[in-house]
Amino acid sequence: MPTASSPPEPRRRLGEHGLAWAFLLPSVVVFALFILYPLGRTFYLSAHANDLFGAPSRYVGMKHYTDLLSSADFRHTLVTTALFVLFTVVPGVLGALLLVLLMESRIRGVRLLRSAFALPFAFSVASASVVFSVFYNPASGVLNGLLSNLGLGPVGWLTDSKWALLSVAVSTIWMNLGYNVLVLSAGIGSIPGEITEAARLDGASGLRLARSITVPMLGPSLFFLVVISTVNALQSFGQIHILTRGGPDGSTRTLVYSVYEKAFAYGSSDFGTASAQAVVLMVVVLACTAVQFGVLERKVHYA
Amino acid sequence: MKRSSRALAALLVSGLALTACSSTGSGGSSDDSGAPAASALDQASGVTTIEFWHSMTGKNAEALTALVNQFNTAHQGKIEVKPLFQGTYDDLIAKYKASVQQKATPAVVQVYDIGSRFMVDSKQIVPAQAFADKDGYSLEDLQANIRNYYSFGGKLQSMPFNSSMPLLYLNEDAFKEAGLDPAKPPTTLAELGDMAKKLTKKDADGKTVRYGFGAAIYGWFVEQLLAENGALYCDSDNGRSGKAGKAAFDSAKGAEIVQWWADLVKGGYAANTGRQTTDAQAAFKAGTVAMHLESTGVLRGYTEAAKFTVGTAAFPKTAADDQGGPIIGGASLWISGPGHSDAQKRASWEFEKFLSAPEQQAAWHTGTGYFPVNTKALDLPADKEWVAKYPQFQTAISQLKATKPTTATAGCALGVMPQARKGVETAIEQTIAGTKSAQQALSDAAKELQPAIESYNSSVG
Repeated sequence: MPTASSPPEPRRRLGEHGLAWAFLLPSVVVFALFILYPLGRTFYLSAHANDLFGAPSRYVGMKHYTDLLSSADFRHTLVTTALFVLFTVVPGVLGALLLVLLMESRIRGVRLLRSAFALPFAFSVASASVVFSVFYNPASGVLNGLLSNLGLGPVGWLTDSKWALLSVAVSTIWMNLGYNVLVLSAGIGSIPGEITEAARLDGASGLRLARSITVPMLGPSLFFLVVISTVNALQSFGQIHILTRGGPDGSTRTLVYSVYEKAFAYGSSDFGTASAQAVVLMVVVLACTAVQFGVLERKVHYA
Repeated sequence: MKRSSRALAALLVSGLALTACSSTGSGGSSDDSGAPAASALDQASGVTTIEFWHSMTGKNAEALTALVNQFNTAHQGKIEVKPLFQGTYDDLIAKYKASVQQKATPAVVQVYDIGSRFMVDSKQIVPAQAFADKDGYSLEDLQANIRNYYSFGGKLQSMPFNSSMPLLYLNEDAFKEAGLDPAKPPTTLAELGDMAKKLTKKDADGKTVRYGFGAAIYGWFVEQLLAENGALYCDSDNGRSGKAGKAAFDSAKGAEIVQWWADLVKGGYAANTGRQTTDAQAAFKAGTVAMHLESTGVLRGYTEAAKFTVGTAAFPKTAADDQGGPIIGGASLWISGPGHSDAQKRASWEFEKFLSAPEQQAAWHTGTGYFPVNTKALDLPADKEWVAKYPQFQTAISQLKATKPTTATAGCALGVMPQARKGVETAIEQTIAGTKSAQQALSDAAKELQPAIESYNSSVG
C-alpha cells in the first residue's frame, strides 16, 4: 500500500498531463491563432515598408519607430490620448462613486434610480454615439438649443478643436457610467454589515462613514474600475469614429484612431507605421497597468 | 510651345497604340492591351459570373440594383453580374487592396474619382480604351469633361458611371426676404461673401438664426475652386503628363480661398458644421444657411425635404476673370485583368457598355441626380421630362457644357489624393481656429503630404 507522500506513477502522470493538454488545446489554439500570431505579425509589419496594396515589401528595421519619435503629429496624438484617459477615467469613476454613495442613503425609489443609472450599460457604443451626435449637432442640436435659451452659445461641440475632445469624453463617461455603477453597487453590497454597524454605533454617519468605511472597503472595486477604464479609454474607437473621425484638426485623434487612419482611412495602407503605432499602444497599456498595480494596488485594502 | 509639343507627343503615342492594336487583328485571346475580343464570351460555355463591388447606398443602391437586374435578365444564361456592396469608397479601396494581395479581385469595381491614379498604378486593370479600340466602339458619346477626367496618356482607363459636380445651392425664400434677387446669384467668392453678409439674420437677442453661407469642410470644394481659377492642384500638369511629385494647392490662390472661407466663419456669416457633409446638408435643409455648396447628387433630396424654394447656381469662381471650370466628381468602373478569364473580362466590358448607354444613364440620372455620363441620355424624352420637372438641374448641364476640358479641370491625379484632400481639410480647420494663417496651414499640409507622395511614387516604381 503506497504511502500518501510517494509520487504518483510516471505513467499516470503522463496520462494526466496529456489529458490536461487535451483540455487546454482548444484555448491554446484560439489564443495562438488570434492573439499570438497577430502580435508577432504586428511586430513583423512594423519593421517593413509597404507596397501599393499594403503588403510588406522590404525590411526597414526601426525606421517606423524613429520616424514616430520625431513626428510632432505623433506627439500630439500621444498627448491627446493621455488627455482622453484623464478626462474619462477620473470623472467616470468618481462620478459613479458619488452616485453609488448617494444611493446608499435610504431614499424612496432608490431601486429605480439604481436601474436608471445602470442603463447606459445596455447601450452599444454605436447607438449611444449617434444619439450624442444629435445632441451635439451645431445647427440643430439639443445642447445648443438649451444654451441659446440661456442667451449663450452656440458652441461647436464637435467642430471646435477646443471642445471636441471634451465632448467625446463626456459621451464616453456616460457610456461607461452604467458599468461603473454596477461594479461599485456590487462592491458596496459586499461590505460586511457588522463593520458599518460598528461604525454607526461609534457615531459615524454621512461623510465620515463614507470616507472612513465605505470608500476604503470599496478599494478593490475602485482599483478594478480604474484599471479597466484606463484600458478601455486607451482602446476607444467607436465614439471617436462616429462623432469626429479624429478631427477637427486632429484634436480627437487618439492612438487607436491614428492606427486606424494610417492603415485604412483616406486610401492609406501604411501598415508599417500603423503597426509601429499599435506596438506603442501596447507598451502604453502595459506601462499604465504595471504602474497601477505597482503604485495604486499597495493602497488597496482587501477585506 | 511646351504644351503643343506635349500634345504632339501624346498624339504620337496614341497613334502608335492604335496601330499596335490594329496590327494584332481580331484574335480570340487577349493581346498586349489586355482586352480580349468579343469571341471570348461567345466561346465560353455556361454562365459567366462576374463580381461587381460598389459603394452605393439608399436610393442610389436601389437604382443600381434595378439596372443590374435589367442587365442580368437581358443576358440570362450567358452573363450574371453579382453586385456586392462594400461600404464607403474608402472602405472599398481598403478591401480592394486586400483582394489584390489575396489575388482575388472582383471583376468590376467602382472606385471614386480620386482613386483613379491608384487604380492605374495598381496594374490590375484593363483600360476601357483597350476594349473600345478592339471593338471599334466609339467613346465619343461620353461627355468630354468626364472622359477627360478618367483618361491618362490620352486613353480612357475606366468607364465613367456616376458623375457629379458641385453646385451653389440657394434658399430662394431667404434671398427674397433679404431683398436679393435669386435670379442674380453670386458668381465670385467676393460676391458670395457680400451676399452672405446680407443674408445673415439675427434675432432680437443678437443670436444668429440664419447664416448667409454654410458648407461642409470638404477638401473637394477647394479642389473645385482652384480648377475654376484654372490653377493646378499638383505638378506635372495635375499628374496628367507624368507622375505628380509635389502638391501645388499651397499657392497664393489656395491660401486666398481658404482665408476667404475662414473669414466668413470667423465673421459669423458662415456656419461651421464640421467635416460631415450630412450635417451641412441638414443645416441647409433646415433653412439655417442661405447659400451652400454641394454636389448635384443631393438636389433631389433637397427639393423633396426643404420647406423653401431651392435654387441652384453655377459653382462660384474665385474671381471674375477665372478661365477654368469645375472638375467632374463621382466614381467610375474598372475592369480587372490578372486572375480573370477572357470571358469574364469581356462580360465586364459588356456590363460597362450597358451601364453607360443613353437609356441606362437616363434612368440613372433621373433616379439619383448624378450627371449622365452619356450626352445622348439628355436627349431622351424621360430625361427631358425630368429636367423640366427639376429645372434646377439645368444649371449643372449648362455649367459642364461651358467648361473646356483642360488639365486644370481634369483634376489632380495624385496617388495619395485622398490624403491630400484630408490635409487641405485640416488646413481649413486650422485657419478657422486661428492657430495658423491660411498660407501657413496649406504649406504645412503640403509639407506633411510630401513623404506620402514620395513613398507612393517609389512603391510604384
